[in-house]
Formats: sequence, structure tokens, C-alpha cells
Amino acid sequence: MLLTQLKYDLLMFTREIFYLVFTIIVPPVTYLFMGQLFGNATYTGNLSYAETYTPSFILLITFGVVFFAFGFDQVMNRTTGVEKRIILSPVPKRTLLLSNILKSIIITSLGYFLVFFIGMIAYDLSFLPFNFILAFGTFILLNAALLIISSAIYSLFTSMNGALVFSIVIFQVVMFTGGFTMPIPMMPKFVQVIADFNPVYHMNQLFIAVWNGQLEWNAATLKSIGFIVLVTAVSLLVLRFGNSPRKSFFKWYPTNRGRGGDMGNESYTGH
Amino acid sequence: MKIVRVSNLQKAYGGNNVLRGIDFTANAGEIIGVIGKNGAGKSTFLEILMTLNPYDNGIVAVLGSELNTLTANQIEQIRRDISVVLQPTQFYKTLKVVELLKLFKAYYNSPVDIEQIIFDFKLQPHRKKYFDKLSGGWKQIVSLAIAFLSEPKLLILDEPTTGLDPHMRNMLWTYISEYNKRTGGTVILTTHNMDEVELYCDKVMLLNNGVTEVFDSTEGILSNGYKSINDFYLSKVSI
Repeated sequence: MLLTQLKYDLLMFTREIFYLVFTIIVPPVTYLFMGQLFGNATYTGNLSYAETYTPSFILLITFGVVFFAFGFDQVMNRTTGVEKRIILSPVPKRTLLLSNILKSIIITSLGYFLVFFIGMIAYDLSFLPFNFILAFGTFILLNAALLIISSAIYSLFTSMNGALVFSIVIFQVVMFTGGFTMPIPMMPKFVQVIADFNPVYHMNQLFIAVWNGQLEWNAATLKSIGFIVLVTAVSLLVLRFGNSPRKSFFKWYPTNRGRGGDMGNESYTGH
Repeated sequence: MKIVRVSNLQKAYGGNNVLRGIDFTANAGEIIGVIGKNGAGKSTFLEILMTLNPYDNGIVAVLGSELNTLTANQIEQIRRDISVVLQPTQFYKTLKVVELLKLFKAYYNSPVDIEQIIFDFKLQPHRKKYFDKLSGGWKQIVSLAIAFLSEPKLLILDEPTTGLDPHMRNMLWTYISEYNKRTGGTVILTTHNMDEVELYCDKVMLLNNGVTEVFDSTEGILSNGYKSINDFYLSKVSI
């Protein structure tokens, strides 16, 4: 059943032009375009364009997939009534959730290899096995954190239009304050302040450092890790205690009846 | 055999008491129409039977199990024997008809042959169409085909023929009646079309202000001197 659900989840992703444009097309094209403009520049840590922006654009794809194809998709299915019909079938909620997580990991991993491949072809990016494995492990951890954050944020939406506007705006905000365009120190002061409160910016900084074997356990690293952990923890609390429509939808019979449990605990966060 | 047994069912949304004491039974093989004006609580009642909505007080036993006592896993088991057609019908919009049937076949672990279902429901011309691109009538037919995939013991339909043209309505009712005769499955539905109730339903439950005002066989109601179920409805329900 899991494989069947996963197959159709992936199929549906490929048929959503909106998701494809913002996840698989825009980031690699921007990566190439920016490379044409700033390919010869040197960045923090004496890194080349490819060393700095390859991990950045992998993260941007991950963000796009997780926020659009995972988070926004939840809102769409909830508000159009699809979710209602699905939960009336006997498919285990864990299967739906697991399929959605696997879908995101598979698509983001494809994005990872796509950008890495472009980097190798266009910018002579080198392949260092140990760094690659370490970076991929970090990527999976960041993926997990983004899945939790996305799920919590989108659980608060009751209208698809609201979620759509939010998605488009947040994509732009993350692009500019996450360090995906120009380096944040070159940006105006207010952008730098926003970046400090943007968990994706901290993820980006960490990922660039890990990717290039430059991670140092200094105050900046601890601050970034601390902020990501904090936002993830708050998101988990929102998912656990938030009185979202999605959660109440799965709350079959109240736990205070002392029997039957709470369907919300099985937290179906996908279709 | 009793498929559904409901006693003194009560349900409120905040301070709004939608159901104020419903009594109802459905036996195997019966087709029962639930009627009442908009806001009478018909959909809330059906959603409780579907295991979609909790209730405040009373007894609701579906297929021998009282819903309020079931664990999440037991609810999942009950759902294997219940199928529904919701109003409005929605499925994944970027899946094609044949893909939806295959997906739901997997959900229900159904032995039913997809090609047979496509043939039975005359879906051949639509099998490669996206669900979202179908007309309202064909969406309902696909929804019913999916509902039949599991060969359910209980079929719950919320206004299944609303917005359908007479041909589509006729087609839908043919499938429902055939299913009922072939499998002995129970059908509970809401509708505003009193002709359909008179033609196809064995029993009628009239909900008024959240209580069961009348629950009788169609013949029983007509034998009380009403010219039709429509006549009965108009005389019992005020605007």
C-alpha cells in the first residue's frame, strides 16, 4: 500500500506545474543565471561561487518542495474536501504521512543531485566522497526540520487562497533573506535583521559550512543550530497542541473519554 | 440483521443543538432516505454514521459496534465495510479516473477487478480523464464506482443526485438499486428529491428541528392518505 501511495504522490507532484516551476525549475535556472553574473567572485571563507551557492540552491529546492508540495498540498486537500474523503477510507494514516515524507525526500534528493550535477558540469565543482556523505546527512536533517516547520505553519491555514499568497510571499522572503541571491552582509541592514530571524538563513549558513568542510563549533554555529532547534521545537508544539482544523478533523473521539485514542495523534499531514 | 442502531443521538456545535434526540435503525438490505429541510441536521447525522464526526450523547452502533467505544484502529476496521459518496465529491484532481480506482482498490485491498468496474459504470470514455475535468454527473458516477470497489455492507450517500440531469440521476439510481439487490448492502442517503425517495427507498426518516419526526416505511407513509412523499413532506415541513 505504501508503494502504491508513494507512486501516486510522486505522479501528482509531476503533474502540478506550480510545484514544478517553484521547486525544480526556478532554483537551478537561478543558480545558473547567478553563476553567469557572479561566477568569478570569491565569497566568505575564500569559497568560490559553486562552493557557496551549490549547497544554497540545494537547500532552496528543499525549501520549495517541502513548503509547496508538502505544506501547501495539505491545505489544498483539506480545503477542497479531498482529505475528508481519504480519511473515510481504511488507509492507515501513518501510510499517508510516511508516503508524503518519502515523496519530499525523494524529490529534494533529486534536486540535490541535479544542482550538484550542474555545478560539476558548469563550474568544475569537485566531488569529495567524505564531504558528500556528511553534506547529504546534514541535508536529510535539515529536510526533517523543514518538514516539521512547514507542517506546523500550514496547519494554521483554513483557506487555500491565503495559503497560496503566503507561499508565494514566503518564497520571495526566503530567497532574499536566506542568502540565496546576494550575500546577506551586502544587503541593507533591515534585510540582515530579518535574516537573523529566518531559520532557512541559518540552515543555509550551516549547510555551506558542512558542504565545504568548514564547520567550526563557534558562537555563530551554535546560534544557528540553537535557532533551528528552537523553531523546530515550537513547530512540534504547534502540531501537538494547536487547535488547527486539520488536527480537529482527525480528532475522532476526545481522549478524555479515556478510550479510543485520538486520531490526531496519528497526525496525517499529507493528502 | 441490524446494520445501524441509533438511540437518542444528540450533537451540538457550540450552543447550537443540531441533533436533539434521533432514533433510527437500518437493517441489512434496506434503502433508507433521510429527508428534511436545509439545516435540519441530515448531513451531521450522516457524518456521524460515516465515523467522521463525534457525537455528544446517545448510542450509535454501526455494524454491531458502538462508535463511541472504538479505538482509532477499530474505527479504521469499521471503515472497511462503509463506503460514502460525499457532497460535493472531491478526489485528487491530478489523478485520472483509472488511477483513482487503482489507488482506492489498494486502500480497500479490494479483490474487485478495475476493468469490470470501468465496464459496469460505463467509464471507458473517461478512464484517462483527470477527475477534475469530469462533469458533475460523471464525478458522482466515479465516486459511486469507488464506493462500490470495497463491496461495502453500508453505503452512505449525501445528496448523491444533486445537480445531475435526469439521465445521470437515472443511471446513478440504477447502480444503487443493483448494488442493493446483488449484495444485500444497506443504503442510507439524504436527498431533496421526494420522487426519488418514493421510487427507490424502503423507509423514510423525516428530520425536523433535530429530532426524528417520522420514521416509517414508504408504503406506511403513503397509506396514511398522502398522495405522494412530496405531499407528505410539504404537509409536515414548514418553511
